[in-house]
Amino acid sequence: MVVDVDGVPVSTRQPGPARAGTRREMLRGLLGVAAGLALVPVVAASWPPGPLDGAHGTGGAGGAAGTGFDEVYRGRRIRGVLTPAGRSAADGAQWEVTVDGRPLHLMRRADGTWLSMVDHYRSYRTPLEAARAAVDELGPGEMLRGSDAPAYGDHPHDMGGRHGLHA
Amino acid sequence: MVYTRKDVSTLTADERRRFVKAMLEVKRRGEYDEFVRMHIDHYVSDGEGGLRTAHMAPSFLAWHRRFLLELEKALRRVDPSVTVPYWDWTRDRTATAAPWTADLLGGNGRASDRQVTTGPFAYATGNWTLKENVTDGEFLTRDLGRSANPIELPTAAELEWALKDPVYDTAPWDSTVTEGFRNKLEGWGTGRGSAAWRNHNRVHRWVGGEMLGGASVNDPVFWLHHAFIDLVWTRWQARHRVHRYLPAEPPGEASRQYRRVVARKEKLPPWNVTPDQLEDVSGIYRYA
Repeated sequence: MVVDVDGVPVSTRQPGPARAGTRREMLRGLLGVAAGLALVPVVAASWPPGPLDGAHGTGGAGGAAGTGFDEVYRGRRIRGVLTPAGRSAADGAQWEVTVDGRPLHLMRRADGTWLSMVDHYRSYRTPLEAARAAVDELGPGEMLRGSDAPAYGDHPHDMGGRHGLHA
Repeated sequence: MVYTRKDVSTLTADERRRFVKAMLEVKRRGEYDEFVRMHIDHYVSDGEGGLRTAHMAPSFLAWHRRFLLELEKALRRVDPSVTVPYWDWTRDRTATAAPWTADLLGGNGRASDRQVTTGPFAYATGNWTLKENVTDGEFLTRDLGRSANPIELPTAAELEWALKDPVYDTAPWDSTVTEGFRNKLEGWGTGRGSAAWRNHNRVHRWVGGEMLGGASVNDPVFWLHHAFIDLVWTRWQARHRVHRYLPAEPPGEASRQYRRVVARKEKLPPWNVTPDQLEDVSGIYRYA
């Protein structure tokens, strides 16, 4: 990942307009990753005991300097790959993370930490920690949305006209 | 006609029934799921490019104020007597207190899969099937208090810590600021302990389930929580009368926040309205 002196990915300097397209591209990339994965059956008859808030990610594994991870955590296959995601160099590198082959959308905070769509009101030091925290929240047999889900950001303003959201 | 938003613990049986009925009707009409989608789509993190409106930004309070008004409009199209009640989590602090009763939002999720099985929003009623979600889960889930690693709701003292800050917000206007009312209330902290999530964020975490994720609007308590956050904003305004929404002017081209935050008189997407226009709601509603 290209990181500037403040520890913020250079790619984050891009202003808004390209964002939705970038996300679509990212999702396409993720689906490619997902398609290449053998899905691991989820064996979870009851709520699994396991790590708690802030108890994991004590260092090393999948840390900020890593370029990928692939592990089974609480019965879930977590994969993360650092890839050159964009069509242009300016888009920089991007983490593509999946849980049991389904894309887990990660967001970066300005302090360099990570949060996921599943666990959205705090952040974690690394993509792996964020992915494990997301798994902690999944119920027995619960899966992330697959390819049939709308891509985040695809139609951000579509309710404005139909329900009079404009002043 | 100025209407009143009430403390949820003070609603009469009839007011509870009408609120629930209106929520279910908005859901039945398909409008509710568009609110869920909209909140997901407007979550832009501050370590990424792009304009932030709903979170990690000065307009966090203004965006959710407008969002609440839209839901309230939808509810009042169904029943003009309905307003969004607020949940004062500094007072109603347990999993059995308001609003977690069978005649309002229902209770905690069950142990096996955190499914909410009581009250009008239980999956088995057939009236509250989740459509827009981060996962394929179709039923509402909660884990009040985070059973595996319990946390407490924010205290009145923690809220007061935010309220007493006279400055609305401060540069760099994101989740890393340690001063200013807005982020002290929104609750982005640093580090790994409980100081890492405060006030608004901590409540999302305490409720758990859907409320923890990007599709938090799926839990009706989202609105009661944000009505209280909105009430706190009005309290802050009353206490610090000479202070206003900041930034007053957009950050310049040299700033890393250039075009990434909404200044006082800029439009707040997706609406054609500015934070300046949203600061005074006294002509629309009041809090009891």
